[in-house]
Amino acid sequence: MSKWHKLKRTDLKDFLSRLAEKWEVWVPYRVDGKWEFGIYAPDREMDFPESVIHVSMKNLFFPKRRPIAKYEEDSKWSMQPVAADDKPRIVMGLHPCDVAGIEYMDKVFLNSEHKDVLYESERKRTVLVGMLCSEMADNCHCTDRGLTPDSASGMDVAFAKVDDYYLFKGMTDRGKEIMQSEYLKAVGDAPEKRKWPAGKYAIASPEEFMDMYDDKIWHELSDICLTCGICTYACPTCVCFLVTDEKFKGKGERVTVWDSCQLQSYSRMAGGHNTRKTPASRVRNRTLDKFAYSHLRYGQISCTGCGRCVMVCPLKRSFPQLGARLSERIRDKKKSKAGTGARSKED
Amino acid sequence: MATIELVPEPAMIKKVIQESRDVKSYVLKLDKSRKIAARPGQFVEVSVQGFGEATFAVTRTSKDGSDFTISVKRMGHLTKMLHRAVRGDMVGVRGPYGNSFPVDAWKGKDIVIIGGGIGLAPLRPIIDHILQHREDYGKLEIIFGARTPEDILYKEDLGIWENDETIQLHTTIDVPFEGWNGRVGVVPVVVKDLALKPDSRVAVVCGPPIMIKFTVAALRELKWSDDRIYTTLEMKMQCGIGQCGRCNIGEKFICKDGPVFSLDQIPEHAL
Repeated sequence: MSKWHKLKRTDLKDFLSRLAEKWEVWVPYRVDGKWEFGIYAPDREMDFPESVIHVSMKNLFFPKRRPIAKYEEDSKWSMQPVAADDKPRIVMGLHPCDVAGIEYMDKVFLNSEHKDVLYESERKRTVLVGMLCSEMADNCHCTDRGLTPDSASGMDVAFAKVDDYYLFKGMTDRGKEIMQSEYLKAVGDAPEKRKWPAGKYAIASPEEFMDMYDDKIWHELSDICLTCGICTYACPTCVCFLVTDEKFKGKGERVTVWDSCQLQSYSRMAGGHNTRKTPASRVRNRTLDKFAYSHLRYGQISCTGCGRCVMVCPLKRSFPQLGARLSERIRDKKKSKAGTGARSKED
Repeated sequence: MATIELVPEPAMIKKVIQESRDVKSYVLKLDKSRKIAARPGQFVEVSVQGFGEATFAVTRTSKDGSDFTISVKRMGHLTKMLHRAVRGDMVGVRGPYGNSFPVDAWKGKDIVIIGGGIGLAPLRPIIDHILQHREDYGKLEIIFGARTPEDILYKEDLGIWENDETIQLHTTIDVPFEGWNGRVGVVPVVVKDLALKPDSRVAVVCGPPIMIKFTVAALRELKWSDDRIYTTLEMKMQCGIGQCGRCNIGEKFICKDGPVFSLDQIPEHAL
């Protein structure tokens, strides 16, 4: 079994610079008070935050705007597929909830006879060097979703911040090459395992959510939601997309772009028919998709408890709170065994 | 590198058929040698370069699979562009995708095809299949409703079906129209008038949402059970392969788990 190896904090830059000779290295940067990933540059101040990074991993594997083919505008048909990027890459500093988000995306894009080869190449070129959380931030609730903040599951290399050094451990064959670094020679003790508290957003079971389809609570919940869709862009597992053509100066690209089920245009068809016209129907669809449909489809609910939806919500009432409020209603309903609302005609 | 599923293959328009005032059919042939072996009920994604793509039922496949037909009602952005296309133009094609009508399981049964308007398009391959394997099936009854005589599609086929002694064809228009001597009345009313008995039959219904809803109600009134009533559902689809997210009914994706469902497989609100 592989051991934990020490990296002195003072060696971090040299360690990263050496890795950057071979890999494209992505690390967290603080931009205007928020953490996001960027390509490592030795002269730029970086650090590894103790818990969740504000901008999710999604964009690194499934970019918000992703060309899939190029064409010449003045031709009837000249569409050529783009080439996948295969430059080796390290993403360092992601957390267990990010790994869970990536594992969910794998289920959508790879567990299919029509797998997404561009997503697959992003996965294949990337070594995941994950950081074990040393604290849970205000909105963190991965423990309510069955995750453990200091679990190394799914990482190629795991590391933790301890005093004035980091502890690194190779978890997979892919991670081994990184562990051979001259800066990781000293062996250290395994980081201490912590007992983690529950979050603020415990939820009901997928089956209980399914039973809520016809409840009038969706109208109540949509009254406190703008259906602006920002939570879907911040969410690490919301991967709904639009396929569209974009033209600029005679050059055209077919692109996939992130879309949001909270927007009215999402399900609107040519001719105007829309199966999810009302905010209530859209809030219901997203809530049930997160906590029930995803479970029925892939055996995993599509909420990792990262709390990003809470951080970005303009009303600060956002999604997990809707889920929690709904769960409360489910509990009340079970107690009283009464009170279903009017049946909606929409899905 | 493996092919990117979302990037279409080029196909040439071999023939354009003006079916009605706002519906045109396009016979398409893939540029490469790949054949489209669409099973009845499957669909394709068709692109106009620079304008995107949309979902169309394959309404006919040539016997050798070298070409196939889609019918396009002028409704929105892309269909408007498609309606401008002429013979020899190139479009993009992906697919076929989706499940299909269980025509093998229907062997020995009487089949009732109930189509409203462009809803006949995804049902025509079932009729083609039955006519190609006539001895495998019982009676074939077709109910086709259009808004007006000017909206009637597939006139050549209707003529052939009319003259086929093994087919009972009922063509109806919604409201009286000058010069029309045929049946008048919306499809659900015709279904009730014909008092279709379930017996050993299966019914396949496709049309505008309101037509499907009331036709299903009429069949249920005539004591048809939900496992005998099939439909092919329509929702906004983009990827066709269960990834872009938007065509779900509950946990099911219409593009991947459907578009063909018997009514016992879908919740009531899906209709």
